Amino acid sequence: MTETSIVLVLFGSFFVLLLMGAPISISLGVAALASYFYLGENPITFVQIAFTSVGSFPLMALPAFILAGALMEASGISKRLVNLAESFAGPVTGGISAAAVLACMFFGAISGSGPATTAAVGMLMIPAMANRGYDKGYASAVVASAGGLGIIIPPSIPMVIFGISAMGLAVPPEAIEKFGTFQSISISKMFIAGVIPGLVIALSLLVVNYFRCKRLGYKGTDEGWDFKHIARTMRSGFWSALAPLVILGGIYSGFFTPTESAIVAIFYTLFVGAFIHRELTWSAIFRSLETTTWLSGRIMLILFCATVFGRLLIENNIPAIVADSMLSLTDNIYLIWFLIIIFLLFVGMFMETLAAIMILTPVLLPVTYNLGIDPVQFGIVMICCLSIGFATPPLGENLFVASGISKVSLEEITVKALPFTLSSTVAVFVIAYFPEISLYLPRLFGY
Amino acid sequence: MGNKILHFLNDIEGYICRTLLALFVTLLFAQIISREIFGYSIAWTEELSVYMFVWFVYFGACYSARLAAHNRVTFQYKLMPSWLPPILEFITDLIWIAFNFYMVYMSYNFVFYKMNLFWKSQTLGIPMKYIYLILPIAFTLMSLRIIQVNYLKFVKGESVIDPDSQELDKLKSGELEGLNETAKAEGKS
Amino acid sequence: VLACTMSMTAVAEQFKIALGGSEGSGQYAVATKFVQELEAHTDDTARLFLNSQLGSEQNTVNDAAIGVLDFSIVAINNITPFSPSVGILTLPYMIQSLDEAIKITQGPEGERLVQNTIRDAGVRIVAWGYSGFRVLSNSKRPVKTLADLKGLVIRVPKNEIMIDTYRSWGINPTPMAWSSLFTALQQKVVDGQDLSLIDIKTSKFDEVQKYLSDIHYNFLLEPMIMSESVFQEQSPADQKAILEAGKLATQYSAKYLVQEEAKAKAELIKRGMEWDEVDETNWIKNATTKVWPKYYDSVGGKDKINTVLRSLNRAEVN
Ligand code: NA
Ligand code: NA
Repeated sequence: MTETSIVLVLFGSFFVLLLMGAPISISLGVAALASYFYLGENPITFVQIAFTSVGSFPLMALPAFILAGALMEASGISKRLVNLAESFAGPVTGGISAAAVLACMFFGAISGSGPATTAAVGMLMIPAMANRGYDKGYASAVVASAGGLGIIIPPSIPMVIFGISAMGLAVPPEAIEKFGTFQSISISKMFIAGVIPGLVIALSLLVVNYFRCKRLGYKGTDEGWDFKHIARTMRSGFWSALAPLVILGGIYSGFFTPTESAIVAIFYTLFVGAFIHRELTWSAIFRSLETTTWLSGRIMLILFCATVFGRLLIENNIPAIVADSMLSLTDNIYLIWFLIIIFLLFVGMFMETLAAIMILTPVLLPVTYNLGIDPVQFGIVMICCLSIGFATPPLGENLFVASGISKVSLEEITVKALPFTLSSTVAVFVIAYFPEISLYLPRLFGY
Repeated sequence: MGNKILHFLNDIEGYICRTLLALFVTLLFAQIISREIFGYSIAWTEELSVYMFVWFVYFGACYSARLAAHNRVTFQYKLMPSWLPPILEFITDLIWIAFNFYMVYMSYNFVFYKMNLFWKSQTLGIPMKYIYLILPIAFTLMSLRIIQVNYLKFVKGESVIDPDSQELDKLKSGELEGLNETAKAEGKS
Repeated sequence: VLACTMSMTAVAEQFKIALGGSEGSGQYAVATKFVQELEAHTDDTARLFLNSQLGSEQNTVNDAAIGVLDFSIVAINNITPFSPSVGILTLPYMIQSLDEAIKITQGPEGERLVQNTIRDAGVRIVAWGYSGFRVLSNSKRPVKTLADLKGLVIRVPKNEIMIDTYRSWGINPTPMAWSSLFTALQQKVVDGQDLSLIDIKTSKFDEVQKYLSDIHYNFLLEPMIMSESVFQEQSPADQKAILEAGKLATQYSAKYLVQEEAKAKAELIKRGMEWDEVDETNWIKNATTKVWPKYYDSVGGKDKINTVLRSLNRAEVN
């Protein structure tokens, strides 16, 4: 009985504050505080959680990846990677838009964020597509849809947050009996698991792109491949193409933790930007530091508040109740996946990605573990679903960015992105129904 | 002179954060180099960098408050009569300040009265008390920043636009050529 | 009738017990035994929060001190920061056998530490969990002497005393977080580490390690602490029942350790690990002469150490 009433207090006050337009962090924090008062418990634990939720070494990967990404822009690494992808466009039908998807994958391998991927790729590729006679709305839709690859292809800031949110979760004893001890999720393992699902989603985008371009009559260049151009972009993009190897190689070989590999990437970028490309300026470095500051500050404030919120859920046994009610509905794993995916897509429409992960992981992860779903696979599916949310209204960050670049209306891009949204959704179902897609590579690497 | 000081104070968290960020990133890099190349692990670097990170984060949250950058869900504002959203923003800011004050009260109480006197950080040996001091400081400072933003908005009539929207505005006005500024879109995910 | 009225007056409580370990761990065994006894003799019951759900071990000590958490089971080195005199139990080779561990913790020295912890940290040790010695494992070669140890990269937790101990043995260990240890061993970023036999087995380190060395420098104690303010709120009868349940859980823990440790050792050897006995004379000499003096002050002086050594019939330090 208290459980239902505490759920009402906790979620009720949270949604009211959210609708009033309070910051997400504060909505979570105040809702948790209200619940502590309601339960008559001493909220002084907030103080320790404020410190410890933030003070962990793996979490430092977050500012490090944000800083690395910002510096890569300033050092000309991003630009060269996109140019490299563009040079592969060639004579194929829909070639240049396929190259845009490819560029998002390349860029995804150095960046951990969706909108950043959209911005970096869109800035060069949308005008390039328009030059070849593409409709600007279509061009924007391609980039907005493929920008989500930035968080599926490692490195990925949402994966770091997922790993942190999953730390110290407990699962029901029955689940442990059936599926073994629940171990904390290795962020490195997440980074490996994301590769193939990223490729699957990219493939689904490429297929839809091919057929739509064929219908729209978007042909490639008449001259065929420009091998000289390819060679030139490869030469100039050599150091940029090494960046993903530096970031991921260190992690995959086990030499570095994700945090350390981001740190190494920062210094690699500083070196390339200052001594090889010679584009990096002091003011760009200061600007990168500044951006990292406020972004980290606001994300971490959400993390602190989401942690107290999650603590209340756990102490009041909410995940178990959710699991029970879900299982009373059905125990068919495919049907449950269906419900979860639809729910996550819905959340992704309205909610900021990281906040969604922090709030939902403590509830959903124990539930899915109980059903025999591998936690890493669950994380990947969750992140895929939320990445689709970048291109769905009303809160579609990639749509905003793409519309800002191309000056095409949000509505038009949204409609033109819809076929891509559908194909990505199909891909997510495939990733959910075939666990091997996510789990094969990690096993190969010995995780 | 006075102006300069004001200018510095207006951005003080920004200066502190940039310094801390640069320091802990460099510290961690030094640790990696020392381990991988010289085979020597420095015991205290990880702990020191984590504490610097916590201070960075909370000053960063204040800085973010000054920029009005904390994420809010706002699409529902479009469905309301135009006089309502400013009022709601003001009320939620009051709630936010109240939350901050309660955090200040609790963390002050924790640090000065409740905390164990012997408790020191494991490898540095600094009393944890001093490290936790960031909490009362940051939540006080954050409230001041919220008041400042509201003062600028309602008294001075300035529009305080969060950096995300600023960035989009720049994209729209075609002010950005090339990629250099898109760094700001990083991490929105 | 008397028992009935007693239980009517006492308020039935549901305590919260925080654990770092998961189901099947030694901590879990102690906690379940304690709860079983508690439920048998009081109206109270308790709920376990496994896997550090309620925060890291050090945080739970703080929470218990403030009174927002009732019980927690933590490794002894996570109590030391709050009550330094407990650190005496973590000095290398202070405890050299399970018998010595039992003698210290259940004797007058143990009682002194319980009182110190109540005074310094506001928490009461109600039960002692015994989790065995950390034995050394590595993937390179059998380690039987200090010379064998030279050149190996060994992981330790971020713990000053353990780092100093390895330094006294002539190598500079690598402090590393637990979460990255398995991969680091697998990728040979580090060659070895030390952990209790039971933990080596449950963490499946035999998949990435080959040699085990039987060393005894660190005996893992995992006491169960209770918030002193919550303890004082209990009726005298309940207080007595709690302490009695704690005693029984302590005794159960020793029995459980002997049993499980033997099982783990046999299983690890069966899975192909090599077991090496170590003549620890030099190991002990280096650790006690180089490490101990650094910590005399923090544990309350040389005299306190000598009191303990006398009670164990061992040679005193001078
Ligand atoms: Na990425
Ligand atoms: Na969305």
